[in-house]
Amino acid sequence: MVSPAIALAFIPLLLTLLIRYRYYFVLFYRAILVRIWKDCVTGLSREERAYQYVLTTATPGDPDSILDAFDVWCNKVEFISNIGPKKGKILDRMLMEQGPLTVLELGAHCGYSTVRIARALPLGARLYSVEMDQRNAAIAEKIVRLAGFDDDTVRKQKYLTYSLYIKCIHFILCIEYGKYYTTETSTLCVLKVELIVNPSDEVIPRLRSDYGLDRLDFVFMDHWKKSYCPDLQMLEGSGLLGKGSMIVADNVLFPGAPKFLRHIRKSGLYEWKIHRATLEYSKGIRDGMAELVYQGIK
Amino acid sequence: MFILTLPLNKHSVHVFTTGVEEEVSTLQEESERGGHRGKRRDSDRERKRRRKGRGKVASKDSGEGEEELQRRLEKRERARRKRAKKEQEVQGRERNEEEQAEMTSGKRANTRKNIKNDKTRKMEEGEGEGEAGERNTKRKKKHGSAKNDGKEEDGGEHTVKEKVQEVKKKKHEKVVEASSEQETSEEANEAAAEEDTQEEEVRPESLSPEELEKLKEAVDERKKLIQSLRGKPWPMKKKLVTLRESQEFVEKYEGALGKGKGRKLYAYKVMMTKKWMKFQRDFENFKTACIPWEMKIKEIESHFGSSVASYFIFLRWMYGINLILFGLTFGLVMVPEALMGRPYGSIPRKTVPRAEETSAMDFAVLWDCGGYAQYSVLFYGFYNNQRAVGWLKFRMPLSYFLVGVGTVAYSYMVVIRTMARNANESGVGDDNSFNFSWKMFTSWDYLIGNPETADNKFASITTSFKEAILEEQESRKDDNIHLTRFLRVLANFLVLCCLAGSGYLIYFVVRRSQKFALDGLENHTWWERNEVNMVMSLLGMFCPMLFDVISALENYHPRVALQWQLGRIFALFLGNLYTFIIALMDEINLKEFVRLIISDTMTTYIMLLIGDFLRAVLVRFLNYCWCWDLEAGFPSYSEFDVSGNVLGLIFNQGMIWMGAFYAPCLPALNVLRLHVSMYLQCWAVMCCNVPQERVFKASGSNNFYMAMLLVILFLSTLPAIYTIVTIPPSFDCGPFSGKKRMFDVIQETLESDFPAWFSKVFSYASNPGLVLPFILLMVLAIYYLQSTSKSYKEANVELKKKLHAQNEENKKKNKRAALKAQMDLEEARTAQGAAQQQETDGEENRGRSQRLYHGKNGHNPPPPIGDQERQPPATRAPVPRPYHHGNHRTPGYLPGFSGQSEPRM
Repeated sequence: MVSPAIALAFIPLLLTLLIRYRYYFVLFYRAILVRIWKDCVTGLSREERAYQYVLTTATPGDPDSILDAFDVWCNKVEFISNIGPKKGKILDRMLMEQGPLTVLELGAHCGYSTVRIARALPLGARLYSVEMDQRNAAIAEKIVRLAGFDDDTVRKQKYLTYSLYIKCIHFILCIEYGKYYTTETSTLCVLKVELIVNPSDEVIPRLRSDYGLDRLDFVFMDHWKKSYCPDLQMLEGSGLLGKGSMIVADNVLFPGAPKFLRHIRKSGLYEWKIHRATLEYSKGIRDGMAELVYQGIK
Repeated sequence: MFILTLPLNKHSVHVFTTGVEEEVSTLQEESERGGHRGKRRDSDRERKRRRKGRGKVASKDSGEGEEELQRRLEKRERARRKRAKKEQEVQGRERNEEEQAEMTSGKRANTRKNIKNDKTRKMEEGEGEGEAGERNTKRKKKHGSAKNDGKEEDGGEHTVKEKVQEVKKKKHEKVVEASSEQETSEEANEAAAEEDTQEEEVRPESLSPEELEKLKEAVDERKKLIQSLRGKPWPMKKKLVTLRESQEFVEKYEGALGKGKGRKLYAYKVMMTKKWMKFQRDFENFKTACIPWEMKIKEIESHFGSSVASYFIFLRWMYGINLILFGLTFGLVMVPEALMGRPYGSIPRKTVPRAEETSAMDFAVLWDCGGYAQYSVLFYGFYNNQRAVGWLKFRMPLSYFLVGVGTVAYSYMVVIRTMARNANESGVGDDNSFNFSWKMFTSWDYLIGNPETADNKFASITTSFKEAILEEQESRKDDNIHLTRFLRVLANFLVLCCLAGSGYLIYFVVRRSQKFALDGLENHTWWERNEVNMVMSLLGMFCPMLFDVISALENYHPRVALQWQLGRIFALFLGNLYTFIIALMDEINLKEFVRLIISDTMTTYIMLLIGDFLRAVLVRFLNYCWCWDLEAGFPSYSEFDVSGNVLGLIFNQGMIWMGAFYAPCLPALNVLRLHVSMYLQCWAVMCCNVPQERVFKASGSNNFYMAMLLVILFLSTLPAIYTIVTIPPSFDCGPFSGKKRMFDVIQETLESDFPAWFSKVFSYASNPGLVLPFILLMVLAIYYLQSTSKSYKEANVELKKKLHAQNEENKKKNKRAALKAQMDLEEARTAQGAAQQQETDGEENRGRSQRLYHGKNGHNPPPPIGDQERQPPATRAPVPRPYHHGNHRTPGYLPGFSGQSEPRM
């Protein structure tokens, strides 16, 4: 029989653990307990619930309001591991600086980061978004459509662009220079988002053959943390990365991708740094985003 | 064959690659031929030797000496003859081959001799190149005349070889000059002549005074180079190479300076100085190696920063003190008792009571310091009150008493002395006035040698900068201070609650254990019997963690936070200890004390194994199959808890001091514990801990530890002194039993062992009338010294301020001077520019051209000369500046600019 006094002596330990790891407990509650409870009650998946909320609150065609709606839902209602507003801003900045034309996103989840990236891309860029889960992909597609970065509209305009392009040349040749050029280019260079529903390790080797890519300017990784490292190696092997290609990986500290970090440290192919931040929609859990710039073999 | 035995040097191979294959074959050919080749071979050998000699002016081969000289003379003769012949003869193909062989072998010899000089040569090649190139052409010419059908490639090889020689010669400039002169003047006899001159340079004895002078200069230059090498902006590799070369050069030629007997003496002296220096260095290394655990601590320091290392240094220091305490007790109390005292079982106090005898050897009993352990030299109950023991008439009770007093006195002395030394080292520094400068230039911990720690340190410096900037902003804004204050008060309140709670728990447990003791310990479980120790250890372990968490509220600098933390843990331990003692006060139980120490030690070790090692193992190996990164994320590896460990150490020491008087075994126990701790913790910290996230320097916290130690020492000696002075010893009080007070042993000794006059003197001396003035005098002296040191300190501060002011003044002066110089320069430039302008441009479009010029070069546009006249005198600095700025701005931003620089005619 253990005496009660000894048990009492453990109270400080218990308190310490509770206080020190409070954010983790909160996260556990929000991300797992609440999710299971709501799943049982509503019969919908978490992503579907999020979509419903966004649909009811956000303005269609306005990516900012969609992102805001997501942020509010993830902050107040439930937890979805999107990139979040804080790290999202870092991502936005990198995209603005880089101005990539071919972007690959691994792990679209429910489209938050897709919209976020698409919003920051220059005109004429292409974004390939890879999602493994069928249901999530469906939601992501809806979200992208809602935001106006729709694939169909792009396709429709594709034919238009060619005809316009010819017209444009005509204008340039014949009519006054400045006026028409400015009006035409806005329709000429349309952003294109393409959603690929397949696991990333199947998609990457086929990017060159099936999608006609020969270089990726920007890769954003936010899928399974375990596949960061193999996918990166696959990208290196595929030859799609050129000098100056940027790779950004989210959540490298929490939940964390130690193998990935070890790989980038060892390989010497990259100039890299980790942007330290906190986990999305949580204050106390530290997380980081790895920014890699491919340097090639020296 | 002589030449064939020479090893091929790497450098020579890669320099003379073209020659190598041919060379081998020709050499073989040559070895087959006999007769008239002898001469040639001789000449080869001779050359080789000459080069060898040249390579080492202070030639080692003094053994060969005179014989060598004779041979050389002969050979020189022969070589001359040979060369003359060679001149006249028309040589066939065979000859060519021979020639080649000769040259290459010469080269071999040459390069071998010059292995050491090779690198220098490379370095100097740059300079030597031009000269060498010039000479090459000469050589070629000479070569062509010497051998009538000299091959091109031969010539090439030859030039390379010559270049090598060239560089070498550069060291002895005189020789170079001489030989080159000869080369140009008498081309035919050049080789022989050269040989002669080089022969001369070989022997230091044969050097003329001016040559010696030059050599001396070169040596001095090298020495200077060695000294100034550290400051050179070169890559480390180059530095190392240069250093080695220079050292070799100096070593080689230093002995050559001086003449005859003086030279030898000089060489001897140089050698001895070197040996002495080396010995000194070795001795230093030896001394470092003698300091126990020094290397271990250094390694830890390099991995974890100086704050963690300071703990281990403290531990080592503590170990030293305990070793001395142990020596005192062991040598003066335990050994005499064991050797000369009555043996076990002779008297009742030395015998285990019959009732306990059956269980006296049980481990559980021994563990609780009962049974045989209690009736041994470990506890003072075992010692007899006999005045003198053994044939030496050793005064055991007196010795026991004096050792007890001496232990405490020594501890006080050591602690205070260390504190004083630390205080001196810290000096007078004001941390507040140049916050950012301090941060900028002194943040780095140069003892860090581990990339991870360096990363952490880097990150922490960055954060500290950010924080400092924020702090600076905050201090200007001066809002949120109320929140911070509130949080700090709240944190302290919470800590107080914790302290009160833990104190009450201990009180409760001790009371309960007394009840158990009344009931009889056998009726209770192990848990209940060990409740007190367990609870105290657990509280001592967990409460600091809680404090650590609470202190996050306060938002202090980690160094300040560490001190707060230390203070709180100190309060906790002290409170617990005193609660424990007070609740036990009516029957201070010695056994309880020893048990407490042992259980404390055990919990520390067990926690180390579980909390650090097990956790590290789990984190490391579960990480392969876990859904998040255990290493970087949630449990992670533990950090080394400096404050907790230091306090553990301090309190342990306090308990030792408290109990040492009653249980002589305690210092021994502590020595053992510290020894084990050292190894175990060193291992644990290197194997399972990660560097702290905020690595900070421990400077300044050392005295904090010492102050704490002093307080603990004082507090722990209080109960002992109290008992000694007030409580009459009982039968169990060993050496003092039967006396009214413990200190009666002194009186007894004085009376019986010293002459009567001595005790009289002593009684006078201990008279309050004499003691009180003495104490008063001491107090006065202390006060005087204190005030003097204070005034010195103030003077220092004043001086510092003065220096500071002076500095500021100088800076201002310099700035003014620089400004003036700049202005003058500008003026000159503008004048010049304007003059040019006038030449090139017409006066109408001057404004435009100026603008264009500016846009292109980003320079100050040259104002016209007419402007210069209107400019203020050069001594007034600030006036031209706006003018300058205006000019800079105008071309870019103001298209319709018509500023001051527009000509006004």
